Amino acid sequence: MSDASKPAGFYTLKTLTPGAAQLHKLSALLTLLLLVFGFALASPAFLSVNNTLTVLLQTSVIGLLGIGMTMVIITGGIDLSVGSVLALSGVITGMSVKVGLPVVPAMTLGVIAGGLCGAFNGFVITRLRIPPFVATLGMMLIARGIALQLTGAAPISQLGEAFGVLGNGALFRVVEMRENGFPRVVFPGIPYPAILLLIVAIGAAYLLRRRQIGRHIYATGSNEEAARLSGVRVDSAKLYAYVMSGALAGLAGNVLMSRLVTAQPSEGVMYELDAIAAAVIGGASLSGGVGGVSGTMIGAFIIGILRNGLNMAGVSAFIQQIVIGFVVIGAVWIDQIRNRP
Amino acid sequence: MTEHPLVEMIDIEKHFGGVRAVEHVSLDLWPGEVVGVLGHNGAGKSCLMRILSGAMIPNGGEIRVGGQPVQFTEPNDARAVGIETIYQTLALADHLDAPKNLFLGRELKTRFGNLDDARMLEEAREVLARLNPNFKNLRDPVSSLSGGQRQVIAIARAIYFDTKILIMDEPTAALGPSETAMVADLIRQLRAEGIGIFLVSHDMHDVFDLCDRVVVMNKGRIVGAHAIEEVSKDDVLSLIVKGELPADWSARNLEAAQ
Repeated sequence: MSDASKPAGFYTLKTLTPGAAQLHKLSALLTLLLLVFGFALASPAFLSVNNTLTVLLQTSVIGLLGIGMTMVIITGGIDLSVGSVLALSGVITGMSVKVGLPVVPAMTLGVIAGGLCGAFNGFVITRLRIPPFVATLGMMLIARGIALQLTGAAPISQLGEAFGVLGNGALFRVVEMRENGFPRVVFPGIPYPAILLLIVAIGAAYLLRRRQIGRHIYATGSNEEAARLSGVRVDSAKLYAYVMSGALAGLAGNVLMSRLVTAQPSEGVMYELDAIAAAVIGGASLSGGVGGVSGTMIGAFIIGILRNGLNMAGVSAFIQQIVIGFVVIGAVWIDQIRNRP
Repeated sequence: MTEHPLVEMIDIEKHFGGVRAVEHVSLDLWPGEVVGVLGHNGAGKSCLMRILSGAMIPNGGEIRVGGQPVQFTEPNDARAVGIETIYQTLALADHLDAPKNLFLGRELKTRFGNLDDARMLEEAREVLARLNPNFKNLRDPVSSLSGGQRQVIAIARAIYFDTKILIMDEPTAALGPSETAMVADLIRQLRAEGIGIFLVSHDMHDVFDLCDRVVVMNKGRIVGAHAIEEVSKDDVLSLIVKGELPADWSARNLEAAQ
């Protein structure tokens, strides 16, 4: 073997070869670039500034949900309630605004409501020892039911202009007034949801990689019994992950409802599947211990761009579901292959 | 000689529903002593050791460390008083690398409370090199390491911190001959440093090679506790299997004493 005769070269090669996790992320990134390339060819409007911003906006909701989902999946669990919690949080914020609360405290209340739903999930899973699938399936119904009951299933509208800023505003937006009195958008700016997503992603990555709680989340998902025997409070780690998932679902709910300037109790159905898909496409393993924020971001953009690109190409919503279903199965299949001994 | 034993377990009881796993067991351990804990599978020895390591809460009895009564409700409580355990399963998180496993639950942090991975890597490199100079795969997930390397990480984790009492559950069961010899050397070295060791083992050769005392459990009770010179391998086997010494034991022992 040439390896044996050149040990130094062998080691350099080995350190340069990416690990399995990096390989998965790389292939996901490649898929993302291929998608962008393909859709750009199919529709010239796809790469326009306006459409790029639309993608950013759409992806930010999936991304926020996906980050919380990633934390939960790393612990070896799953959170099926995020779509419903998103709706409940938006409704709570909307109702708070309606009774006269300013927008920022109202939104804070919505996020806290999401966090409480997550805390309930965590309590049921760690104390009552109910499997995450069942516990969060229950919360999926509970949160949706509360949202519908509170509103009588009717959307809450006329929430005022300030309520719409988070979802529709943008940083560095340049607008000039033309002589005829109509505004002209010179640069549409970076949408606030995209900025929010970036901040949350950096914060979550920092928590997972540089803080003890993040290390313990990975250890819990990798080998729960070993983590427990090593002195890791596995119940706290799980609780933390579910609270984060709930609170981020609440944040995503506020972004979405703000964008519609309406609190919709029936919003967010099946969003949990987009979030799970984003995490899994990004390399998170459903058996726990593996996953990361950067991968999930790539996954969220793949889902967001798939939906947007298929829309632009005039593909029906039904066909879109079929395509995304196959993409998720494909991503998990690739994961299986790479983990096969 | 110290006044108190390192640890005393007094009248420990543990039952699961109607099954009595540990019944009225009392056991102590002195500095620099290696005590072999033997018995069938299900004799209660693992259960007793899990109680001492804080992984299981007893239904009755008392544990004293250095003469002081202690209560363990989780493994960290036992580790806080210097009781470390090497589990038969090794208790490693497969997706994490060696330094992360070594410091799991006791991570080193920077001034700002961030994980100090650079320092943990350096410390791990040092302690692992002492146990196995060939240990180089510090950044690989431990799932990709050999059984011997994994064992080394588990041992390093147990002796890196200020250990007074070490519980080793079948430490050589998964090892080859050279690695077994390494573990045996390590046990002698730790004993010389005054650390007390409980050695749970099936390997009669290891037990007679390393232990100062043997304690044999049968059906949740201690059926024999003897200095290693007092008994032969056949005597110990008889205790394990039948729960009693051979009929001619006391006669033989008297003879030997004269």
